[in-house]
Amino acid sequence: MLTSIGRGALSFIRYLGELAMLAVDTVISVVVAPFRWRLLLRQIAEIGFHSQTVVIVTGMFTGAVLTAQTFFQFSKIGMSTAVGSVVSVALFRELGPTLTGLMVAGRAGASIAAEIGTMKVTEQIDALRALGVHPTDYLVVPRVLALLIAMPLLVMECVGMAILASYLVGTQVLGISGPYFMNNVIKYTGARDIKMALVKGLVFAVIIALVSCYEGLNAKEGAVGVGRAPTEAIVIASLSILIVNFFLSFALNMIFPAG
Amino acid sequence: MISVRDLHKTLGTQEVLRGIDLEIVKGETCVVLGRSGGGKSVLLKHFIGLLQPTSGQVLVDGEDIAGLPERKLGAVRKKVGMLFQSGALFDSMNVEQNLAFPLREIGIRDRKTIAERVHEALDMVDLLGAETKMPENLSGGMRKRVALARTIVSRPGCILYDEPTTGLDPITSDSINHLIRRLQRRLQVTSVVVTHDMHTAFHTADRIAFLHEGRVHFLGTVDELRASSDAAVQDFIQGRSGDCD
Repeated sequence: MLTSIGRGALSFIRYLGELAMLAVDTVISVVVAPFRWRLLLRQIAEIGFHSQTVVIVTGMFTGAVLTAQTFFQFSKIGMSTAVGSVVSVALFRELGPTLTGLMVAGRAGASIAAEIGTMKVTEQIDALRALGVHPTDYLVVPRVLALLIAMPLLVMECVGMAILASYLVGTQVLGISGPYFMNNVIKYTGARDIKMALVKGLVFAVIIALVSCYEGLNAKEGAVGVGRAPTEAIVIASLSILIVNFFLSFALNMIFPAG
Repeated sequence: MISVRDLHKTLGTQEVLRGIDLEIVKGETCVVLGRSGGGKSVLLKHFIGLLQPTSGQVLVDGEDIAGLPERKLGAVRKKVGMLFQSGALFDSMNVEQNLAFPLREIGIRDRKTIAERVHEALDMVDLLGAETKMPENLSGGMRKRVALARTIVSRPGCILYDEPTTGLDPITSDSINHLIRRLQRRLQVTSVVVTHDMHTAFHTADRIAFLHEGRVHFLGTVDELRASSDAAVQDFIQGRSGDCD
């Protein structure tokens, strides 16, 4: 029992260490290697642009259902006009970044791990190395930078769409006064909430990029190995996002205290 | 050009290479023969730094590349090209882009020069007209040819061939063998061919190194190999497993 716990702990520490090595290599690569604009733009389109549908749909339905549930509770104590502010703050500080992170981990993270994993088992990564190209420069850096650029924008898009859906459901379905709704949203949502969402988006971008690239680069031989890489990437990135989000919420609440 | 000294490599718990000493002379074609799983490809990958030895030296033009960090191997890798067993074409690029890639990586930016070099390389492998094809639309033999064109397009001084005819039919294999020989004559490159295909070995080799039990068991010319009385060498040439029905 103790042996298996110890073995699990060691393998977890080794995994963290290898992720940290990849992070260091990525930073070195950004500094010393030639910048590949085309690859970056292609990745921004692939990761950012093509993730919009899933992020918008997730944001809108989450905003709508959160509004409905909040309204059902608040209306009992005559506070239905406060729904907008509660929904807005919850979306900026927690739900927006977390749900966007989970959606992007599922869509882009899986795609990154599968693509790099396939390149690994078909010797394309060895071919890159044989041609004098460092795999981190060519494969990891563009994806990390693309996620760092795309994630904050996707988080804002998710939150924006969620608030729009919240407004529509609140005013058109639940009968909340539109001006009161918007007034409360603006009054109780501050720059601190937007900053918190952006910081979380950036942190989740790093988690998704590093975990997905790592899983791809370390894919085992054969169809099973390539198939396992995206699954592992989604599971590890999603769990990491949820766990890191908990600690990040407390830490960021000290820097950007809720209004 | 390339030499290895007392090269040992352990993968997992298995010692694959057990003290290899081999020198590849500039301009020759050296074939590394041996059974499947005998460490031929592992040895070849050491020549270009894709694998690092457990111990021993790998000298490329006199420079020991064993233990060099990945970022310092770039210069060596520009001198030595490698044809992978699977071809390893970049499947997100068409044939032309695959060939242009190494040229851009060595700093050639002029589109006309790149187009000329790509055309020249495709001409050498008899694949003119295949520029816009994607790798998934190529046959096994064509993939090997395109991969070979990608290897030679940047004009390396040495080409490493990892099982160039594995998985190909006899006719296509023969055309690849002729191509290897033709390229060697035209480009005057040093070549190392890893194979277990006797036809490829006899057709392309100036010298043959026979790997057995992790060591160079025999080193000599094709005629010397044929005349060898060594049991392991003869069993391999004749394809005798020693198993009974």
